[in-house]
Amino acid sequence: MIDIVGILMANIIYVIAITLGGALISWSVHFVPVGGAPAAMAQATGIGTGTVQLAAGAGLTGLVTAGAMMQVTDNMGLILASGAVGAMIMMSVTMIVGAWVYTYGVGCPPASAKVKYDPITKDRQDLYVSQGTEGHGLPTVSFVSGVIGGALGGIGGALIYYSLMSIENGLPLVDLVGMASVFAVGIFFVNAVIPSYNIGGTIEGFHDPKFKRFPKAVLASLIATFFCSIIAVLSIGGL
Amino acid sequence: MEPLTGMGVLALMGAAATIAGASEDLESDVGSQSNPNSQVQLAPQMMYPHRIYSKAISGEPPSNALMCAIGGTTASVLITAGASAVLALVIGAIVAAAIHGTYSVTAYFGRSASQKRFKQPVYLDLIASHTPVIMGYSFITTFCILVVSYLMVAVLAHPFSLPLLAFIWGITVGAIGSSTGDVHYGAEREFQNVEYGAGLNAANSGNIVRKAESGLRNGIDNSWFCAKFGGPVTGLAFGMTVFLSGWITALFDPTKGDAIGWVSVITGVIIVLILILWNRNIEVAARAAFGTYKEDEVEAEVAA
Repeated sequence: MIDIVGILMANIIYVIAITLGGALISWSVHFVPVGGAPAAMAQATGIGTGTVQLAAGAGLTGLVTAGAMMQVTDNMGLILASGAVGAMIMMSVTMIVGAWVYTYGVGCPPASAKVKYDPITKDRQDLYVSQGTEGHGLPTVSFVSGVIGGALGGIGGALIYYSLMSIENGLPLVDLVGMASVFAVGIFFVNAVIPSYNIGGTIEGFHDPKFKRFPKAVLASLIATFFCSIIAVLSIGGL
Repeated sequence: MEPLTGMGVLALMGAAATIAGASEDLESDVGSQSNPNSQVQLAPQMMYPHRIYSKAISGEPPSNALMCAIGGTTASVLITAGASAVLALVIGAIVAAAIHGTYSVTAYFGRSASQKRFKQPVYLDLIASHTPVIMGYSFITTFCILVVSYLMVAVLAHPFSLPLLAFIWGITVGAIGSSTGDVHYGAEREFQNVEYGAGLNAANSGNIVRKAESGLRNGIDNSWFCAKFGGPVTGLAFGMTVFLSGWITALFDPTKGDAIGWVSVITGVIIVLILILWNRNIEVAARAAFGTYKEDEVEAEVAA
């Protein structure tokens, strides 16, 4: 018989770390400037894809780099940082190539429709929004916000993976890596989906009024990830 | 590992990833998947029936992740059974392409048949001409992603399993394809009938171009156009992601100590900062070159 309470109490620090990692991912998704389907027609500011998809693409790239780093070091800070860097690189490369397409392929300058002046560069925005659209492309503030989102998502994913790998268990390493990585991907998706109810398809970044709604999503993620973490810790710790 | 060997493997991975990115985007253009397909689906409802292959199996990332995970799992099983890696990767990619082709056909029938009330025809010859192209592109994408994943597992000794790495890179290539190349298809190719140099006016929604250079436009015409810009830049984006995320640790190998590991992290941050500055540069240059869409009301009043 598995000692459920014993396993949970022995790994309580990891249950908390996984839960915090989930909340971090949930918060990070609010930073990512996604315009959904309208942005693919240059009808809205941000990247032309879905919230979950882009956050997952970046976060999972971070998970790959964090997984590689964890194999060679035990330094938690370095593992989290390498997760953040992997996700930031994916996000910024996607955004810069997106900027090429908006500028050279579609022929419209980056512009935000949510603010009159870019909070970072202080550039005027409304004059550059073409008729019948809600902005297009990636103004500097959205780009920076996306990089921050990528970094936080990468840290969150790496924290979850690190915690899962640190649980006491009797598994051979190859099986432990398999279980930990699949749980990390699963928990990542749970927390990438929850904020999309707040975002409702489009968000420009931290300057968007929708960004202020993040506490609700973070709270929901804390609760959802807590249950996920219990299942994950029991599954890995019980073997 | 020797730094030079690591660099060589990374270069090969970057090249394979570049091809995977380009073929992923062109596959989504032939079949009209992802976000721009919202306009293709909307068109018949706005009384613009068309001859474009409309398959939206799912969002691009899950669809590519499914394809790559199927390919990766098949390849992994074959390698475990003793097959050579090259054969296993090819067979894995063929199985994935066949399953993707099945989904494409059912998606096309479903999407088009459900729009019967808007007089949208179901073109059987489109199935015969487009599905092999879609399967061909999906074979190339899956094979290249499997090459990247296999090199990571077998040479760079990444701890994740081959199917999981293929799944993750499938999600990433789909996310990049739908964020970059698809904009060229959705914002430019679908709406060449409106003036160049602006986002799609909401009033024009659904009014996609339906006539081609010769005859009626179809998905292959779209991939011909997007292969000039959207496809290659998607390839560059995915290639850069795979290459740069591995390059920083190949250059500053963290196995030699945590200090060097931190240097690799700092290098990554510097790359990101350079990209932020590059984006700012593009923003300033584009605004200077294209100008504003409307006059500043305050300035206009002062001038009057």
